[in-house]
Amino acid sequence: MALRVPVNLRKNLSVVLYAFQGLSILAVIVGLASLFLLPLDEYSRRTYISENALLPGQVHAYFGGSEQNIVRAFRREVDLLGNSTSDVVAERMAEIFRSAGLKVGKQRYSYKAAGGEYTGENVYAVLHAPRGDATEAIVLCAPWRNIDHLLNEGGVALTLALSRYFKRWSLWSKDIIFLISSDARAGPQAWVDAYHDLHGENIQSLSVKSGAIQGVVVVDYPGAYHRFESLHILYDGINGQLPNLDLINTAVQISRDQMGLRTDLQEMWNHDDGYRHRLKTMLRGMVNQALGHSTGPHSSFIPYHIDAITLATHGDGGWHDEGSLGRTVESVFRSLNNLLEHFHQSFFFYLLMAPKRFVSIGTYLPAAMLLAVGLTLTAIRLWVDPRSRSGEAGVKVEEKEEKKGEKGEKGEKVKEGEVIAVNGGPKRELFLPMSIVIGVHFCGVIPFAVFNSVDYKSMSSVFYIFIAASVILPTLISILITLTASPHRLLPAFHLSRCFSLLFLGMFLSTLATLNFSLSFLIGLFSLPLMFARTTPDSVPLALVNSVLLQLTSPFAALFVVAGYWGLGVEDILKEASFGWWVWGMWTPIVVWCVWWPAWVVGRISVDSSIVMAVTGKRG
Amino acid sequence: MDRKCLLAIGAGALIRLVLFTAFPSLPTILAQRVEISTPVTSYKRLQEGIYLYTHGVSPYDGGVFHQAPLLLSLFSILPPSTIVTNLLYILADIFSAISLIRIASSGVPTVTPHHVSPRKANSWPPWAIAAAFLFNPFTIATCIARPTIVFTNTIILHSIAAAVNGRRGPAFVSMAMASYLSLYPALLLPPLLFLTYDSLKTTSKPSIQAFSAITTIMLSIVLMIYFKLSHMITGSWEFVASTYGVHLLLPDLTPNVGLWWYFFIEMFDSFRAFFLCLFQLHLLIYVPPVCLRLRKQPLFALITLIGISSIFKSYPAIGDTGLYLSLLMLYNHTFSLMRYTFFLAAAILYATFLGPAFYYLWVYAGSGNANFFYAITLVWSISNALIVADAIYAALRDEHETERPELIGKDVVQI
Repeated sequence: MALRVPVNLRKNLSVVLYAFQGLSILAVIVGLASLFLLPLDEYSRRTYISENALLPGQVHAYFGGSEQNIVRAFRREVDLLGNSTSDVVAERMAEIFRSAGLKVGKQRYSYKAAGGEYTGENVYAVLHAPRGDATEAIVLCAPWRNIDHLLNEGGVALTLALSRYFKRWSLWSKDIIFLISSDARAGPQAWVDAYHDLHGENIQSLSVKSGAIQGVVVVDYPGAYHRFESLHILYDGINGQLPNLDLINTAVQISRDQMGLRTDLQEMWNHDDGYRHRLKTMLRGMVNQALGHSTGPHSSFIPYHIDAITLATHGDGGWHDEGSLGRTVESVFRSLNNLLEHFHQSFFFYLLMAPKRFVSIGTYLPAAMLLAVGLTLTAIRLWVDPRSRSGEAGVKVEEKEEKKGEKGEKGEKVKEGEVIAVNGGPKRELFLPMSIVIGVHFCGVIPFAVFNSVDYKSMSSVFYIFIAASVILPTLISILITLTASPHRLLPAFHLSRCFSLLFLGMFLSTLATLNFSLSFLIGLFSLPLMFARTTPDSVPLALVNSVLLQLTSPFAALFVVAGYWGLGVEDILKEASFGWWVWGMWTPIVVWCVWWPAWVVGRISVDSSIVMAVTGKRG
Repeated sequence: MDRKCLLAIGAGALIRLVLFTAFPSLPTILAQRVEISTPVTSYKRLQEGIYLYTHGVSPYDGGVFHQAPLLLSLFSILPPSTIVTNLLYILADIFSAISLIRIASSGVPTVTPHHVSPRKANSWPPWAIAAAFLFNPFTIATCIARPTIVFTNTIILHSIAAAVNGRRGPAFVSMAMASYLSLYPALLLPPLLFLTYDSLKTTSKPSIQAFSAITTIMLSIVLMIYFKLSHMITGSWEFVASTYGVHLLLPDLTPNVGLWWYFFIEMFDSFRAFFLCLFQLHLLIYVPPVCLRLRKQPLFALITLIGISSIFKSYPAIGDTGLYLSLLMLYNHTFSLMRYTFFLAAAILYATFLGPAFYYLWVYAGSGNANFFYAITLVWSISNALIVADAIYAALRDEHETERPELIGKDVVQI
């Protein structure tokens, strides 16, 4: 019985087609709408500490009093070294660490990306745990210059002071590594790569090592001001991976409830915990995740399955000083020290919308998946559509059958005048559309390789040349195909190439959604016009509208949007992407050039072909 | 073989050569993928075995190496250079392609003594079938990763090529070799028997009983020779337990694309023996019905059994699926009768992409777990099983329409 339904639907294809169209539009609408529901109280949850061993804020933090004078002394020291070269800095820092009785290591590194060279020297010290066996370690890191290239005076001074202070405690069960990286972007990456022996040839190996790193806290406290207003917690990792939510919760709970420090996320300084602010925090988090870049030194650790956060101070009018920051770090370290095993209890996939509010993967994943499902359903509809078959469009394959008889009688009915030959009517020509789609996808390697190898200086001119090329390329391809292929094959070919391209895009986005939800969602959002941009040889205005719409949602447009969002030039974004690829192993450029751009080109080909077909008069 | 066949083979060899030389780290990366290398085929384990063997230690000591002794002697004769090994694997794929061309040009996929397909004219030319094999991403990935399944596949194809030309000796000697190397090709012996019998070119055919009796005796002698040779090479019968024992008893639970590993990880030990028997019998149980029902098209029965064992055997890999899909291309003329081609192709593609992603989440990112990967292997197996079922439907429909031409184009309703 169950098989009767599809059999009947086979005869009423238009029902199926409309159903698929409706379903795909519905999927997209529901997907988009569900994202905007997430900040509501009904869909998001309050954060909670999942790992009982952490016991955040349960201990008294003693950092303060005379320790504060030591921090100020180190601050002076750092200030004096402010403009020195990195080897002088490293030597002086090593001296200070040694005088505190720690094992010290130094590491030079050099990266080349986008025609620039990024060199520096990291210095670090290992405090061996009095009660540990050197199988586990936690890292306290302070970049010499933070991500905005400001001298991280407070952060480095605090790290130096804490290294002396921690040395006096006998309760550590994990080794503590104090790392002063030479910058915030390349330095930590060089260090963590070398720590796991996965470094390139221009990066020195580490002379001293400890056990598996369980957690990383980065202190970012730039400037000469001693006072700050609030603590900004940064948590986005490379490629949109995130640290375990427990680590963030611990930091938030300690700074808020124990120290009375306000915490901020995603540069939302005046969060009122209302719908708008939650949504904005979430969207900012999604943009950072989608770009997959480093937002601080912690980002480089996360791909190694090391949970890491940056604590950055914000504002200079508040009443908190080194003392509160030091106590916060101390308390976080006491919690990390309690860990019995690697962070695993809480969530790895989440979207934070306020310091104490989040949604987990089960709630938000459907949004991105539904976009991908929308694309896949469209692909299936295009395949089922009789227009995908060459030959006469929509040929009625069979005569209408009489009313069904009794069971078993069906086989006996003999019909006269069967139209179809044994080979089953018009077939789909797969070769041309397949080669269009595969060929264009291979072409995606070209921009990827070019943008990762050109100099920063020529970046913008290359980019504009490439924009021009990709505006012309689809038109050229569609002219070429229109002129060479036989007319009755044209429409099905463009139809099927759209089908394959959407199928591939939908498949890729649903895969990507499990790895980097935000990137998948944003690309899915920008690709929505591809669902509707079709070949319309009968209506040139519609084709023009489609073409403009596609142009507005191209990867280039997205690049301009991103550049505008950060207030940078396009060449800076491309430089960042190239740097990200060579230093961090960031995938975003691959996804954009080898998945999204080809899908967009195929969409443009089918839209442009309608104009070409109208002009040449080959309408299929 | 015409110019197009040579072109396809040349291009297929070239693409492999380019992948081997342009990306020297690719073979190692792919060889570590659990989807491609299994404990019983892995190249890394083979090297371990060769190392032990050439240093005078029994290769089966240590429980890492589970492959047949004759492979050891083959690789220890070869000069220990990567280029030679790579060329050997490329050569194996070329031989496979040649065998496919021979099978396709014999016409057996469309015309057997009992059945002539009405869609004969729609079948693909031999070069296209060779190209479908040589450019299948699964086959290419398998060749680059160098698991020993490549040789098994080549030998199976060679055996089929001999069988469709009615050459009993080579067909059975090769199939015995394939069974000797990976055990499960033994399931293909009954359909191979029918196939060879149908394709015999002699004027006076012996009766099928006599034919199968003689063949069975011949087969046993050949197998005994292989075993004796293996015994001479390794000096003990230890290899039997370490190779066939591993196929049958599943001591190594490394994840793969199959259905066994997760099942047997989860299982309580007291049920293990029972379910091992059940899983192995499950494979065996397909052989008689498939052979009987598809008696008119023994080649298709053989291909179907390859497909079934590529899903349900103990250590399957994408190389097995690659072989099945390449062989299925011989029945391209019946594809218009298949009902779910697009959906199944999409499902296979989805599983191909999601599998590595979920494996990454489980093993590297630590944010997923084993269920993620197992879910995808389920999707993979289900879509493969549906392909097998749909292909059987198409082949039977094709047969049915030969008998009842008046039903061509009618819908079938399951009641």
